[in-house]
Parts: sequence; C-alpha cells; structure tokens
Amino acid sequence: LKARTLIWVRRVSQGLFLALFLFLLIQTRFPSGGYQDYSLMVASEQDIRITYPVSFFFQLDPLVWLTSLLSGHLWIRGFFWAVAVLLLTLLLGRFFCGFVCPMGTVHHMVSVIRPTLRGKALIQANQKSGGHRVKYLLLISVLVSAVFGLNAAGILDPISLLFRSLSLAVFPAVGNAIKAACDVIAGSDIKPFNLLGYAAEEIASPLFGYGYPAYQAGWVIGGLFLLVLFLNRIRFRFWCRTLCPLGALFGVFSRFSLFRLEKKEGACTGCQKCTLTCQGAASPGPDGDWDGSECLLCFNCFSECPEQAIAFRFRWFPAQNRGPDMGRRAVLGGLLAGVSIPLLGRLDGQVYRVSDPRLVRPPGSVEERDFLRLCQRCGLCMKVCPTNVIQPTLSEGGMAGLWTPRLVMTLGYCEYTCTLCGSVCPTGAIADISGREKVERPVRIGSAYLDRGRCLPWSGNGPCIVCEEHCPTSPKAIYLRSDIQTAPGGTTVKVQLPYVDLRRCVGCGICENKCPVKGKPAIRVMAAGETRSVRNQMLLDI
Amino acid sequence: MDHPITRREAIKRGLCLSGSIAMTCAVGWPGQGLSEANAEDRKKPFLVEGVGETPGYSVQELTEKVFDAAGGMKAFVSRGDVVVIKPNISWARSPNLAATTHPEVLEAVVRLAFDAGAKKVRIADNTIHSADRCFALTGAGMVAKKTGADLVHPRSSLMRDMKLQGNRLDVWPVFVPFVEADKVINLPIAKVHGLSELTIGMKNWIGGVGGRRNALHQDMHQTIVDLARFFKPTVTLIDAIRIMVANGPSGGSESDVAVANRLILSNDPVAGDVKAAGLFHVSPDSVGYMVLAAKQGLGTSDLNAVAQKRVVL
Repeated sequence: LKARTLIWVRRVSQGLFLALFLFLLIQTRFPSGGYQDYSLMVASEQDIRITYPVSFFFQLDPLVWLTSLLSGHLWIRGFFWAVAVLLLTLLLGRFFCGFVCPMGTVHHMVSVIRPTLRGKALIQANQKSGGHRVKYLLLISVLVSAVFGLNAAGILDPISLLFRSLSLAVFPAVGNAIKAACDVIAGSDIKPFNLLGYAAEEIASPLFGYGYPAYQAGWVIGGLFLLVLFLNRIRFRFWCRTLCPLGALFGVFSRFSLFRLEKKEGACTGCQKCTLTCQGAASPGPDGDWDGSECLLCFNCFSECPEQAIAFRFRWFPAQNRGPDMGRRAVLGGLLAGVSIPLLGRLDGQVYRVSDPRLVRPPGSVEERDFLRLCQRCGLCMKVCPTNVIQPTLSEGGMAGLWTPRLVMTLGYCEYTCTLCGSVCPTGAIADISGREKVERPVRIGSAYLDRGRCLPWSGNGPCIVCEEHCPTSPKAIYLRSDIQTAPGGTTVKVQLPYVDLRRCVGCGICENKCPVKGKPAIRVMAAGETRSVRNQMLLDI
Repeated sequence: MDHPITRREAIKRGLCLSGSIAMTCAVGWPGQGLSEANAEDRKKPFLVEGVGETPGYSVQELTEKVFDAAGGMKAFVSRGDVVVIKPNISWARSPNLAATTHPEVLEAVVRLAFDAGAKKVRIADNTIHSADRCFALTGAGMVAKKTGADLVHPRSSLMRDMKLQGNRLDVWPVFVPFVEADKVINLPIAKVHGLSELTIGMKNWIGGVGGRRNALHQDMHQTIVDLARFFKPTVTLIDAIRIMVANGPSGGSESDVAVANRLILSNDPVAGDVKAAGLFHVSPDSVGYMVLAAKQGLGTSDLNAVAQKRVVL
C-alpha cells in the first residue's frame, strides 16, 4: 500500500468511527418512534428498547472486558469484540488508537487543526521523553485495583471518558443554551420568530431533548475534558501518549506485532520530517529504534519521508519489536497505587458498614460491592434515562464510587415500568431486567419517608395528596387518612394525611419529585430498603 | 420498534407545525369565535350515551355512532379547522390499565375530525410521566403514526402565561396548542381520584396547563372549574369503555379496572361529568367541582334539562 492511500484509509476510518460513536451516543435515549401496538392490549410486557447497539464501543474496548473479568469475574455481553481487537493488535500494533478510537480522533483533530507547536519546538515535543511511562503506571494500577475488587478503569478509559464528557457535559451544556434561546424566541411577540423557535426545537430534539438536562457533577466532568483537550498544546495527542491506559494496554500487546516500520539504512538525510509529524513520539527517525508500543499507526512518517527511507511492512516472521518501555518506577508505582486505591476506597465504610442514604442506585443494580467491581462510570444509564434522574455521584458513593450513577429525585424520578438503564449498561452493573420483573418482584431502589413538619396537610397548611396521587404501585404505597388538623391561624382544617406503607413502597421517588414543598420536599426517598442489599433492610419480613 | 425520526422528517414536521400555527394565527384569534359558538351551543345542551353491548363490538364504530347521533363530526368541526384533541395520556401505562384514554377512541376521533375536513389534527397533553414514554405506552404515539395526526411534545416554550380570569387562578402558564386551535375536543377517561373523588372531563384540563400544577390541589375544586371555564372545549367525549374504580388516578393493575363499555358525548362539560359519575355510583352533589361548576354557570348538573340520546351497539 502506498503511504498516501494509507493516510486516507486512516482518516476515513477515524471519521467513520467517530461518526458511529456520536451516532450511538445520540441514539442513547428513549426511542422516539418506539410506540407500542395497542391493538395487542397487553400490559407493560413489551419493554421498550433501543434498537441500536449503543454499548458497542464498550464491547470493543479490551480494558472494559479485562477489568470486569478481573474484578467482577464476569464475561460481559459481547466481550468477543474486545478479544478480537486484542488479537488484531497482536498482528497490527496500536491500530485501535490510530484508526478506531473516537477519543484519539478527537485529540488528533485538536492537535492538527491550528497546531500550537511548530518547527523545532514540535520536533522537541515529539522526542521520546519519560512521560509516556505514566500511562503504564495508570494501566497497572487500574488492573491491579480491579483484581482487588474496585473497577476504576472507567475514570480513565478513553471510551468511558469521552462518552461521559460528551453526554453529561458537552451535549447538555450546548442543549441548555439552545433550549434557553428557543424559550426566549418562543416568548417573543413576533409570530414568525415563535415559529422559527418551535421548528428549531423540533430539529434539535433528537440531539438535546425537549427539556433542560441537568447533571450535578457535570461541571467537573466537563472541566476535566477541557483540561485533557488543552494538554494537546503541550504535546500532540498528549492523552494518547501519556495518560491513556487503554493505549498502554495496546502498547503491551503490540510487542509482537507483525506489522512494523522498517528503516532503509543510508537513505535518510536527517531532515526530521518524520519526527515532525509523528503523533506518538515513537522514534520513527534515524536515531534510535522505532517504538512499536508507542506508534499510533498514523502513517505520517511513512507519507512525509522524501527519501522513502521509511516503510511499514507486514512480515510473517515473528521478530519481536522493542518491548514497551515502562520503567521500573512506573511498574512499582502502578502496583502500589493499584493496591492502595481499593483499600483506601473502602475506608469510608460504605461497603462494610453503612452506605450513604443518598446513594440510591438505578433499578436492577447489583449489590454495592459487585457494583463497584463492574460499573464503568460511562454515563450510558444517565444519558438514556427519560426523566434525567440518574446523576453522576461526586461524594455520595465515596471515593471508590466517583461518577457512578445515583438517583436524585428532585431532578427526576424512576418510572415504574421503565428499565432502559439496565438494558444499555455495558457491564451488567445494572442488570437487564424487564419491566414486569421490576414491578412483580418488586425491585425496590429505596423507600420514601415523610417529613411531617414540612408536609402541607400534616402541618395544617392545607389539603394536598399529590404524593398519593402519583404513587404508581397498586395498591398505592402512600395511603391517606382523613383527619382534622389545626391550621396556622388556630382554625381547624379537614385534610387527608399521607402515610407510607413500607411493604409497598419501591422508592421510585415520584412522590418526592412532584411534592409541592420546594427545597427539601416533604416526602423524600433514601436508599434504605433497597432490594439489592440485605444489610440495608428495615423490616423483618422483606 | 420503528426507525427514529430522520432529520429531514424532523424539519418537515417542524415546518408543518410552525406553518399551521402561523395559518391559525393569520386566520385570527380563535378564542373569540369559539366562545360565541359555545354561547350558542350552551342554549341547547345535549348528551349522547353510547353503550357497547354486543361482545367484541368495535370501539371505533361505537365512537362513530355516538358522533352520528349528535349530528356527525361536521356539527363540531368545519372544513380547514385546526383541531386539537386533549386525551388524558398523562400516565405511561398501557391501555388495559385504564389510566389513559382508550387509543381506539382516540383513533376514531382523529379520523372523524379528518373526515370532517380538519386541516390539521393535533394530540396534546401536558403529561405527568415522561412525555416520550406516555406517547409510547398509551398508544397515542401509534395513533398519531397511523392517522397522520401531530403529537405535540409538551415543553416550556409551548407554555405561555395567560390571564385565566378564574375565581382562583389569575395568570397561569397555558399549553399553547389549545389556545391556538380552531376547535378543541376534550377526550378524557373516567377514573377515581384521591382528592377530587373523580377525574373525568373538567379535571382533564389540568393537563392543559403548565407551571406549578402540584399546588392546584390546595384549592382543587375551584381551580378545576376555573380551568374548565377557560378551555371551553367544543365538545367532550368521555371514554368510559374501561374505567378505573380503585387506586386512581394512576392505577397500575387490571384489578383497579372495571369494564363499563360506555362513551358519553356532550357539549355541556358539567352534564357529561355528572352522567359519568353515575357509572361510579357517585352522587354529583358530593363532588366539589361539579357542584361549583353548576353553581358558577359552566353548565348544568340537571340531566333532565339536557337532550339525551342513547346509542347501543
């Protein structure tokens, strides 16, 4: 293959995979055309599912597969894709970084479009330095930490990081801006403007929805994403070279790759064009051995060399490439961090003693210890939730549970028969349960409790019953008793007082969400009573 | 499951929606014409009760028959009208649970409106559960797809502060499609309710507004009457094919449902509700908003003063 062709093949592949990633990200929502055929008149047995394989990139990702295997001892759905990617890496090297990875493509674009480094500074930045060892440290710590029962891969895994950043920060931020603009236009008195606003909203809705999305820790996620993008000013594809644990994993596996760069002795004139365009600081030039585990297979050097002194060749004989240069300190540091993180992560007592009452996990979530072994913190469940109730944690799950999902009932509530979050979870941290199972078992995610001091009828401030009205179980978990209360003026008022039946409550949180008492609603949901935890039960008989 | 809306389709829909809203506005403020027509109608209130007795009868056919008995849909919808239908599709429940308007009734009404020459038929409800899921589970989405009616997705840009001039409610955000319609058809389902006792036609209008709806409960009966007065539908068709007799208004189990096989069509919002209350063996005198509505002149609760017809299938 000619170098130019290879470059174009790479660009097209990068573009297509990035487009596929974005397409699947956008499709990670309640399917708008998924209407049930009412003529069948069946109960909520037809669960509404997304037809697109929205977790495909997570199945491609060997780090997701390996960590959930090491940590959760689970062969995740579609893991063979990841196995195939690793096998191909043995043949071809880090092709995933150069051709597939959407995160790599984003960094590639940011680096190359309006580059900040030129000439000598760029050649300097593309020289090998010790920095690339950091990613091996991170890889080792992630893998060791998985062995010790904490899956922290998702924090740094490029697929998780990109999905989380785009769906919980970039898209909602842009969506909010567009939505606010549409609302302003819709409020104008000039009719054609209104209509333009409505039309714009219809067009934008598949991408951004119709409401104002909210993610409480979104600003941290978005800020870190901007920081990671900014690093490209220091070195091209800084993330891929220095930080990416998935890249490090591919680096380890490209040691034996049959596809490799060959240098023609004597042809080189030392023009440095190869080093100038190298994306991975892989020493393509005359001085030093080519670094297969650092090469991102961008083929820039191959294409740029004016003397044809460099060529990528496929050789069937198994000559080893240079092994990944990890450095002893990175290995030891990784081991130390890998052991420390899970141990420190359990110091807060969330796993062994008592969990945070605010840590209401999505329906179908496995028990907390297993949850931390599997959750990739990717944000798929948060993106797909039709009520926007699932939020990335900041401190509620402890250090070990950073950015794992929890339900914030003031922002949304869990729809009684909806199980979309479990159907998209790439690792099964949220089990793929059916709506029928959720209702009939039932799957409880927590329980509601009343704050009688704030409740309108209980405090004599007037009739209400909104919580009872919305309670979705049958019979209702919130029931009413007629009573007479003393109103603030000293007069009496006839009210219906709400009570919670803990045996029926599933913790869906619609009562908290719809309660007219603002700030802290008068009825709230906490994790106590969640079916996934034996320890977190209140009643003897359930 | 079907394909998602393509961009082209979305643009087309957006343009259709905005175009038709523009047309409506060009025609003029529809509210005035409507209230005059209503004043005319109120002089001769009627009520048609449709009963499905034959096992396996067609709900759609019964709907057509009921309208025929009232002079056909043409009596309510004129050629070129923008018709907005207000079903109760507030809960993401499947139709068998009777928490939402029967999709067969909805489908028949949409078709009748189109047949009567409606230029545009919209289905609008400010849902309680997530609108996407409500559309998908209640069958309303399927109806829209089958009939070509527009489903209006409730959202903040379609809520406009308006003067309701009610006894209790003054300025409140209103769901725009209802005020920009030529004709409004109220299509509630009859259910029991924890606070208002029954939710039928007049209470359905809580789904016509936005804002802090959960505060309306603090003066439920008067706010229901205020809303029913403001929206003034051309006609109300109460779906009582399956009614919810327990655990309302959300239900959730087939044991909460009774099969009544009834449809009640009326141009008098009070009379329709009073008639439907009979199905629950509830005296209208015990339902606060029915008493208030009659007292405040919204309609009559005296069914003898109403021209009644009965259709049996």
